[in-house]
Amino acid sequence: MAERVRVLLVDDEAPARSLLREYLGAHEGIEVIGESANGFEAVKAIAEQRPDLVFLDVQMPKLDGFEVLELVAPEPGAPAVIFCTAYDEYALRAFEVHAVDYLLKPFGRERLAEALGRARERLALAAARAQGAAPPANPVPGTLAAAARGQGRFAERLVVRDGAQVHVIPAEQVDYVEAQDDYVAIHEGGRSHLKHQTLAELAEALDPERFVRIHRSYVVNVDRIARVELLAKDQRVVFLRDGRQLPVSRSGHERLREQWS
Amino acid sequence: MHPLLARPARLLLVVAIAALFGVPLAWILKLLGPRPWAAALAFAVPLQIISGFIVLSAWWVCRRHPISGPGAWRAVAVQLGAALQTTSIRTALGTFWALALDRWLYAGLSRADMYRDLFVMFVTGIPIYLLSAGGHYLFLAFEASHEAERRVLETQVGAREAELRALRAQLNPHFLFNSLNSINALVGSDPEGARRMCEGLGDFLRRTLALGARDEVTLGEELALVERYLGIEQVRFGDRLRVERAVDPDAAVCRVPPLLLQPLVENAIKHGIQDCVAGGVIRIEAKRAGGSLRLVVENPVDPDAPARRGEGVGLANVQRRLEVFGARESQLSASREGDTFRVLLMLPAVADGALAEASRG
Repeated sequence: MAERVRVLLVDDEAPARSLLREYLGAHEGIEVIGESANGFEAVKAIAEQRPDLVFLDVQMPKLDGFEVLELVAPEPGAPAVIFCTAYDEYALRAFEVHAVDYLLKPFGRERLAEALGRARERLALAAARAQGAAPPANPVPGTLAAAARGQGRFAERLVVRDGAQVHVIPAEQVDYVEAQDDYVAIHEGGRSHLKHQTLAELAEALDPERFVRIHRSYVVNVDRIARVELLAKDQRVVFLRDGRQLPVSRSGHERLREQWS
Repeated sequence: MHPLLARPARLLLVVAIAALFGVPLAWILKLLGPRPWAAALAFAVPLQIISGFIVLSAWWVCRRHPISGPGAWRAVAVQLGAALQTTSIRTALGTFWALALDRWLYAGLSRADMYRDLFVMFVTGIPIYLLSAGGHYLFLAFEASHEAERRVLETQVGAREAELRALRAQLNPHFLFNSLNSINALVGSDPEGARRMCEGLGDFLRRTLALGARDEVTLGEELALVERYLGIEQVRFGDRLRVERAVDPDAAVCRVPPLLLQPLVENAIKHGIQDCVAGGVIRIEAKRAGGSLRLVVENPVDPDAPARRGEGVGLANVQRRLEVFGARESQLSASREGDTFRVLLMLPAVADGALAEASRG
């Protein structure tokens, strides 16, 4: 393999990073371009340095490994990912998000070499695809988000990225979410954040006890609703506590009534 | 005491059922010797009520002579004897009652009618007693099966307790995996450190098993275990893990359930230090205040971190351990103030006798 593989190491434990560095040192054509000790740093490093391959821990401060991936993977040229963790319960989720491999700590040189081999194959394939017409297949944002929150759970926080900056929004702080083409605008305390996801996917992730889809384009936090007003026949609006008005469709009104009954 | 006599409501039920039995009896008497309904009922109903109480004696007979097993035939004979006895008493009482009724409200019955009535009383008394005996046997069988069920349940609870004991001796496997990974890393860069860590891990495991097998330990022993634990985690977290200790010497000799603090410190790392970019300080405090032992474990929390699932499990386990320890006055409370999570344990301060003496001498 003539091409150099640029690698980022993400783990909050220094010994774990130094182990990877040592193991990788024995491989030709591998360049470790940096180390990150938490989720924020990882997102920033991936956005700015564009590594080909990331060794990613799962449990880290700020953002866990899946949340990091949720923020960086939908982009073209997203890195290949090898998860490294002591927990075997994330393996299924890891492959749902197209992880190259899943290393269980503690692991040896041979196991790492095997994972590296797979990563090189994946990268070669992606490069070949990029030369042709078909762009490399990234995992869909909805799948990434679902993997990030875990099966059968509702999101307790939403992560959004603005360039290299990451925002973590606790779910209960969200006022409402608005659909905007392929994006959603998450409104929270007068700010709004754009995220590459459909409203349906996001609505699925949110706790239905708290969030109701009142309209094709709106999901609202029911705690923020001050009142519902009937403007004309079958035409209602929701007034939020901050005075903002959101349209309510007929089926949205049905859902609200169910919630309150 | 017969269970039916234990409560007024049940007593009333016995009276009502017995009185109902009086109606067919009155009907038979009326059929054999024509008389007004009132006269027949006046004789039969009170007598049946008294008979009702007499046949409750089957309870004691049934308990003495179970119908199953080798003594079954004997039990049948005893029951038949008891039937004859109770029906004799019933007939004797019936005689007095018939005479009294005859004197007070003349029913126009001849002597022959009266003898026939008493014969009917005697004959009907036998099946009534046997019915009662059958009912009591059923009741006793029901009760026995209930008792057996209860015992099975009790055994299950006992088994669960044993399981818990095993569980608390068990270690968090992820802690082991991560520690092994750290050793793996040290082998290359710092072989001497790797050796030290192997030693520390071995020491920690041995202590955990030894303490977990005991019913109680001194706080000093528990804190020594915690120190081993922190020593291992220090390698993983480096500068991010800082520890402050405030332990009074007279607190260290108090008796506590084993593995009481270690899970709390483990939580403090898992839900505190691990979530914080720059780490933070874990504070461990142990003080004696009068008759109480006050233990505090504090850790920083990252404001962005979501409430992690499973956080309550560790606390619930500690709570349970306190209950098993038998410290009724002990309390466990967890609170969050700003970016600090704090677990407070109050338990009665009982100094370990031998240790206290040793420290005095």
